[in-house]
Amino acid sequence: MIRRKLSLAAAVVTAAALSLTACSGGDAPAADLTSVSIMAPFLEAQPPGADGAVQKKLEEITGKQVKINWAPNASYEDKTNITLAGSDIPQVMVIQGKSPGFVKNAQAGAFWDLTGKLDKYPNLKTTYPDIQQNASVNGKVYGIFRGRAPMRTAVMFRQDWLDKLGLQPPKTVEDLYKVAKAFTEQDPDGNGKNDTYGITIPKWGALGSNSPYDVIEEWFGAGNRWTERDGKLVPSFETDEFLQADRFIKKMVDEKLINPDFATFDSTKWNEPFFNGKGGIIVDVDSRVSVLINLFKQADPNNFQNKVGFVGNLEGPDGKLHAHPTDGYSGFLAVPKASVRTEAELDKVLEFLNTLNGKDAGILLNNGIEGVNFTVVDGKAAPVKPETDASKAVTTDIKSYAQLGMNVAGNQFYPVKQASDYEQQVFDKRTDVMAEDLKSAVYNPAAPYVSATYVAKGAQLDNIVADARIKYLAGQIDEQGLKDAIKLWNTSGGDKVKEEINKLWQDNK
Amino acid sequence: MAAPVVEAEARAANRPPVRERKNGRFSVHFAHYKWLYLLLLPGVVYFAVFRYAPMYGVSIAFKDYVPFLGVNGSPWVGVQNFTDFFANPDFPRLLGNTLILAFLNLGIAFPLTIVLALLLNEVRLSVLKRTVQTLVYIPHFLSWTIVASLSFLLFALDIGPLFQFLNNVMGTNIDFLSDPAWFRPLIVLQDIWKNTGWGTIIFLAALATVDQDQYEAAIIDGAGRFRRVWHITLPAIRSTIIVMLILAIGQMLNTGFEQIYLMTNALNREVADVFDTYVYFVGITQGAYSYSTAVGLFKSLVGIVLIFGTNWLAKRFNQSGLF
Repeated sequence: MIRRKLSLAAAVVTAAALSLTACSGGDAPAADLTSVSIMAPFLEAQPPGADGAVQKKLEEITGKQVKINWAPNASYEDKTNITLAGSDIPQVMVIQGKSPGFVKNAQAGAFWDLTGKLDKYPNLKTTYPDIQQNASVNGKVYGIFRGRAPMRTAVMFRQDWLDKLGLQPPKTVEDLYKVAKAFTEQDPDGNGKNDTYGITIPKWGALGSNSPYDVIEEWFGAGNRWTERDGKLVPSFETDEFLQADRFIKKMVDEKLINPDFATFDSTKWNEPFFNGKGGIIVDVDSRVSVLINLFKQADPNNFQNKVGFVGNLEGPDGKLHAHPTDGYSGFLAVPKASVRTEAELDKVLEFLNTLNGKDAGILLNNGIEGVNFTVVDGKAAPVKPETDASKAVTTDIKSYAQLGMNVAGNQFYPVKQASDYEQQVFDKRTDVMAEDLKSAVYNPAAPYVSATYVAKGAQLDNIVADARIKYLAGQIDEQGLKDAIKLWNTSGGDKVKEEINKLWQDNK
Repeated sequence: MAAPVVEAEARAANRPPVRERKNGRFSVHFAHYKWLYLLLLPGVVYFAVFRYAPMYGVSIAFKDYVPFLGVNGSPWVGVQNFTDFFANPDFPRLLGNTLILAFLNLGIAFPLTIVLALLLNEVRLSVLKRTVQTLVYIPHFLSWTIVASLSFLLFALDIGPLFQFLNNVMGTNIDFLSDPAWFRPLIVLQDIWKNTGWGTIIFLAALATVDQDQYEAAIIDGAGRFRRVWHITLPAIRSTIIVMLILAIGQMLNTGFEQIYLMTNALNREVADVFDTYVYFVGITQGAYSYSTAVGLFKSLVGIVLIFGTNWLAKRFNQSGLF
């Protein structure tokens, strides 16, 4: 570890030396931008090649040479920090969220403050100012956010089990308990053995990470990370509803309605118990519905309908729907000052991003190349069948290129036409359910605010409560222990976080 | 006292001043051994460039380092990072976890290496000895990721073979992977499984140098196997043991980042957090470079103190030390 750190330090030293030489080169006039360098994460096994069809088309659309430095998603945060400490800083960086490292760099002036600068670029002017505000650092916009559907929470269950037991899809959290109990105790797979359980939850503990725990707490009315009580913002875990929700989850753990290894279960295997008929319910984003359907389809292409059922958010015990939305964005594209030095250069880069956010580029990044991997049918993108090598390459590449999409003014590309009528129906139903739930969404009122104390030690603080929550559910500590942990959060610095967040909230009201 | 005398001597003999004379001797000496010095040069350059120059970066432990501002541009904060760390409620827990794991490894894994080497040394059938030796080396070449995955498979709740076996034997229902009480045994076991065989190499080399005549003499005197091991073998490799012990103690606080990181989860974090994982967690993932550098620096200082301490102790007890 020490050795690694020292070599990091070595890199820093070399970088400092290099940037000095770079500075002495003098200020060249802002020549026309011929190439743009971008750093972005890739989620596939391999990053796209530099000479793929998508790359060529992208350069054609934007009229620039686009140099993309792909970094693996799993270590992207590390890579971001190291890149900023180095000398070879790209002109555009995909930043995945307001991590303490990013906030520190931004506040030290590492990135252009884009507040008020974006409106003159038609494709960068957002139609969702609330989400732009959420993505800001205390009101300062340091990047163009990557828009995501804010409502994505769904409960998916084995429809065949539900039918076999003669049950209705859950509407309330109480229904969820009943279904989970029936799935556990009434032998839904009909093999005569007591070998099923209700809900599968993977190792996923961090606070405010849209985990099943966060979602159920919000359904109970605990709010979304922060909530307003008596004119003040308090963290969700300081509400009574939070305790109620965790008591509810604990009851299910104790009655073995939840997989007993929920604290260690590998999240990449989340679909397996569902598919293999061990655990019948998953609480996650609605896109998983399609993933699950696909699993069943691959196993048996003739008989995969009616295996997966889903509903949206569930009503809490108070009879109200507190739907759980995300913050509506997944990071943003920021422009480092070290590589883009003048306002004139910034204007050129923003113009490039404006093109990148236009309809042509939007379709390329998200759908692919028309005629190669998709055709437009009824305003929808239908995959080209049968697949060719060329279409496969494009389809694979856009899974990474989509990371560059911002869509701050709504999606500019075609919705994907689903493979069969059944899947199209499910897809449309998903869209409808999510649109309906969005009306009852309870947002995080503190999303735009970044407190200095939280930047310094927020993650350690949150770990206190997050770990205590898992321990309480696992029975390692009792409710008093959970309350003590929340008290410890306050005395270890949480008090200050609350104070700062409330001040920012009041100032910006 | 010596200087005036030398000066007086120099004046009296009308020879050049002392310093020059010494330099002169050195240059003669240098000229004589120039090729050997040249041979030394790459090593010196290597250490200067890759070991000493980067230590300049350690200065960020005393700064509020922001990557964008660079090492020079970041403001100084004195020992703020250190006082923060010592005042942090995490500190006693980290220190405790690190030390307990370190002593468990030192107290169990280290002697086991010697025992295994002695056992191998007693095997007379050389085919068997070599086969066993090779087999026990193999785990060393597996990465911790593989070792952790194997552990997850073997100890998986309800379905892992070792989970079933151990719980049947003990009549319990323990989830070894998340039970804090089982974290340390698991870590030490993994360590033993992976590294004990590899660690025997140096001891086996030392054992090969033991004078065979002594054994013969001991056999004639009627000494059994254990007597021979106790009175001949162990004293013969005592200095090797001491050197290896000093080296092991210097490495003691490096509790193995990968291994512990992979085995940590929300339920056992209390006992699993050690300096190395903490530095990663706080430094790399939270971007608190200065703070984590301070923690790392503190760890290094403790390591140095331990090395010098053990070396001093070894010398006090009339053993040859490391330096």
